[in-house]
Amino acid sequence: MIRFLLKGILRDKSRSLLPIIVVSLGVALTVFYSGFLEGVMGDIIRQNARFETGHVKVITKAYGKNKDQLPIDLALLDVNSLVQSLENQFSDMDWVKRIRFGGLIDVPDENGETKGQRPATGLALELFSEQSKEAERLDIQNALVSGSIPDESGEALVSYEFADKMDVQIGDEITYFGSTMYGSMALTNFTVSGTIRFGIAAMDQGALIVDISDAQKMLDMQDGSTEILGFLSSGVYDNEVATNVMENFNAKYADSSDEFASVMVRLRDQNNLAGMLDYVDLASGLFIGIFVLAMSVVLWNTGLIAGLRRYKEFGIRLALGEAKGEIYRSMIYEAVLIGVIGSVFGTAIGLGLTYYMQTVGLDIGQFLDNAGVMMPITMRAKITPSLFYIGFIPGLLAMVFGNMLAGFGIYKRETATLFKELEV
Amino acid sequence: MKIAFQIACKNLMGAGLRTWLNVGVLSFVFVIIILFNGLIEGWSEQSIDQSIEWEYANGHLLNEDYDPLDPFSIEDGHGNINDVSTAGLTPVLIRQATIYPQGRMKTILLKGIRSDQNTIKLPTQALDSSSAEIPAIIGVRTAEVANLTEGDQVLLRWRDKNGTFDAADITIAEIFNTSVASVDNGQIWISIEKLWQMTDLKNEATYLIADDSYSHQNVDGWRFENQDALLSEFRELIQIEKYSSSILYLVLLIIALIAIFDTQVLSIFRRQKEIGTYVALGMTRVEVLRLFTVEGALYSVFGVIAGLIYGIPLFIWVNEVGISFPDYYQDMGINMPSTIYPEFAVWLIALTAVILILSATLVSLIPARKIVQMNPVNALKGKIQ
Amino acid sequence: MKYIITVTALAFLNTFAVAQSAEEIIQKVDENMISSTQISTSEMVIYGRRNTRTVTSKNYAEGTENSFTEYLSPAREKGTKMLKLDDQLWIYNPSSDRTIQISGHMLKQSVMGSDLSYEDMMEERELVEMYEPSIIGEEEIDGRQTWKLELNAIVDDPTYERQTIWVDQERFVPLKQEMFAKSGRLLKRVTLRDVQLFGDRWYPTKMNYKDVLKDGKGTDFIISDIEFDVDIPAYIFTKASLRK
Repeated sequence: MIRFLLKGILRDKSRSLLPIIVVSLGVALTVFYSGFLEGVMGDIIRQNARFETGHVKVITKAYGKNKDQLPIDLALLDVNSLVQSLENQFSDMDWVKRIRFGGLIDVPDENGETKGQRPATGLALELFSEQSKEAERLDIQNALVSGSIPDESGEALVSYEFADKMDVQIGDEITYFGSTMYGSMALTNFTVSGTIRFGIAAMDQGALIVDISDAQKMLDMQDGSTEILGFLSSGVYDNEVATNVMENFNAKYADSSDEFASVMVRLRDQNNLAGMLDYVDLASGLFIGIFVLAMSVVLWNTGLIAGLRRYKEFGIRLALGEAKGEIYRSMIYEAVLIGVIGSVFGTAIGLGLTYYMQTVGLDIGQFLDNAGVMMPITMRAKITPSLFYIGFIPGLLAMVFGNMLAGFGIYKRETATLFKELEV
Repeated sequence: MKIAFQIACKNLMGAGLRTWLNVGVLSFVFVIIILFNGLIEGWSEQSIDQSIEWEYANGHLLNEDYDPLDPFSIEDGHGNINDVSTAGLTPVLIRQATIYPQGRMKTILLKGIRSDQNTIKLPTQALDSSSAEIPAIIGVRTAEVANLTEGDQVLLRWRDKNGTFDAADITIAEIFNTSVASVDNGQIWISIEKLWQMTDLKNEATYLIADDSYSHQNVDGWRFENQDALLSEFRELIQIEKYSSSILYLVLLIIALIAIFDTQVLSIFRRQKEIGTYVALGMTRVEVLRLFTVEGALYSVFGVIAGLIYGIPLFIWVNEVGISFPDYYQDMGINMPSTIYPEFAVWLIALTAVILILSATLVSLIPARKIVQMNPVNALKGKIQ
Repeated sequence: MKYIITVTALAFLNTFAVAQSAEEIIQKVDENMISSTQISTSEMVIYGRRNTRTVTSKNYAEGTENSFTEYLSPAREKGTKMLKLDDQLWIYNPSSDRTIQISGHMLKQSVMGSDLSYEDMMEERELVEMYEPSIIGEEEIDGRQTWKLELNAIVDDPTYERQTIWVDQERFVPLKQEMFAKSGRLLKRVTLRDVQLFGDRWYPTKMNYKDVLKDGKGTDFIISDIEFDVDIPAYIFTKASLRK
């Protein structure tokens, strides 16, 4: 039966070509737009996850209470064993140490004396470690304006704006001046290996990015870090999983009165992201819903065409004695086949477009008068697992539904008038 | 043309459900595009209004040594306002200070402003009506971070112009709620007279806020940033938002156009006999072509009309109730009211309608061109060509 | 009669002492506490939220204008030097081989996590120059009889508008000092203990410095060794000595 129908579809282009093209196009657009929406809307959440909140984050209780002051004196200690136990307990997640710190960057003149100073926000990451995905996670390579990512101790990235204002070149030496975890003076030289611009105002004012081993030394934080971020293996925030992980972890320390006991928080509970998450869910759900609906209407139309086109054929088949129900069923089977073929093509095209937008992105910076903006200026789509099936919903359903409606015409026909109609 | 229009109308009405489906999709696209544009327009307008109302007014006259992005410049970046003609200007003096909520130390910006000012919307009258020694007003965000509520006292430590320490309890007279986080985060507002007295910086100001009556002349030691300059960064953001939403419009439009295209193909295929008859009756093929194009275009006209019928009440309704957004944006320093009231300009609706009708006409023309190549005899016979 | 005379004499003496001393006491305190030069070795005990640290240093001072400090331990601070010349302050750090000037905003930061800011270390005027003293009472602290003096600023730019100081009546060493804001609110409290005799000079060897607005135990200074009026080579108070 299927083979017979397939042959029909393949041989009768008028039966197949237009519907398949329309279904493919519609499905491709649905897939692409969903991907685009996921990309743009999810960007804020991802950006937060990547830079600040992780999917979950481990800090000390005391740090959590004062986190707006970047209190490095309240950092976690013994982090290696903590990370180890996290890795054992939640092995499918990626756990990384980070240190956030504040201080001054002092730029020396040729005599090694202060030429200028500026406040700096520091971020220490696992840059040197081979397995670390941190540089990738923060997309540092793309954020580089000049130079390269530090690959040896004593190298640092500074924000492009800072370098520009202080007239700092790649290879120049700058000094971090601040205090250690215990309040001692911290003075460390770094060689500028590159300048960066993330497009996030807070990071671009005066960021200093160094490897975590350098920061631990500098801030007297042996085996310490201000936070441990956990990322789910899918790369996408899943509140249920994150909540589970958090509850499991926190249960261990529930009755600890130690203010330096570690505590885990979810992305949802940080930076007012709860509202944002709900909003993104609602908005993308709404849009995809609207989209699927509109697409279904279009494809229903296509189904009607298919039915009407073969009015005569059905007449002849009826005249030859085929049962109405049989014809109807074969028509629906055919619609399913066309729907599947169109959806497969459409999904492939849509994924291709999405992939293009994910890797290349749409640089809206060029449309802007000047580049002093505070949002990511390249819009990117994002391929998510849902894109692989989302297109089949409108593609298949609408096609079948359209044909079902169109096919009702078959039951209306009277055998008696068939021959007259067919002008035989 | 009139005939073409009449026939087209009748044909469409006669087609029943299918016509309404197409009209439905088109009206839907029409309404969504307007709704979205209205939302962005409303965001932009209201945020700009809020920024002007709460922070920028008609522009800022800043002391030359003061750079809002550089906290180091606060210490010395102020000047005497006697050097400036203060007509239409409200002086603001910024000082660094420390508060001690619950024994913790927190650095804040202490800002002095005239309590009788009307230039910006800060509820400065509360500074006057309070009987407390040093009444202060703070925003909701600062209140949350410092764990303060109205009527609370908190210890403030500051320095006078010579660096001599002083400390006193301030009383929170009012907590204001604004979407403009840049007048809230980490700031405490008190009366400027009080601040002058507290710091011995009589008549000093870090910047002055201009109201509508202010007209700028160059003053030595001060630089003027007008409203536009202050708003430029936000306008860029809106610009980005507009580009990103135009992708949505494009995709929606394509879907609607596919629907029209589809219908056109269908009707031309089904109505070959009709076409043949028209030609046989003496219509030129171009006239028939016009008939079919008008038919296609009419879908969009009906779509627009239908869209207006349910769209206008919808627009009026959302314009009144507004659409709420999470506080996230404000916390990120992006200026966004928590409830946006979309704004719909007539030109926006008209433009969207014109674009829709034009593109629909164009799309209907493509399959209709087939008519020109038709053999009228075969068409009359209803043979598929 | 004799008894009456004695009493009057004593009373007279007493009023005489009081009337004359307010200024004189402060003068003597200044003379006692500030010497033309001094070299000391001291420990600073900083009570943090998580641990307690002890930092030792060798300090050279010339009056109140110039001072030079070299940190000796712990290993992390060893070799760090701080030079103050009049109203300028530099820090040298051997591991980065950099000399950094501390100015503006940075002066308000705490020194090595203590309750003392760089600015607190910068005050170079004598009490007598800055304040008008008056005796407001007598109190006994740790078995020592003290005068309680109130100091009101006579200069425009004191860090603290008013201070209360308890001065040992015999040794002219302050045993307690409280610093107030202009509004009269207590900001800092210094307690001095273990007064010892160095030559002909009594000097407190333990001092606790506390920011009373903040939670915590404050910072202790313990002098293990101090010499007064010794020759200090002039090069010590030059920027060149930072890198030595």
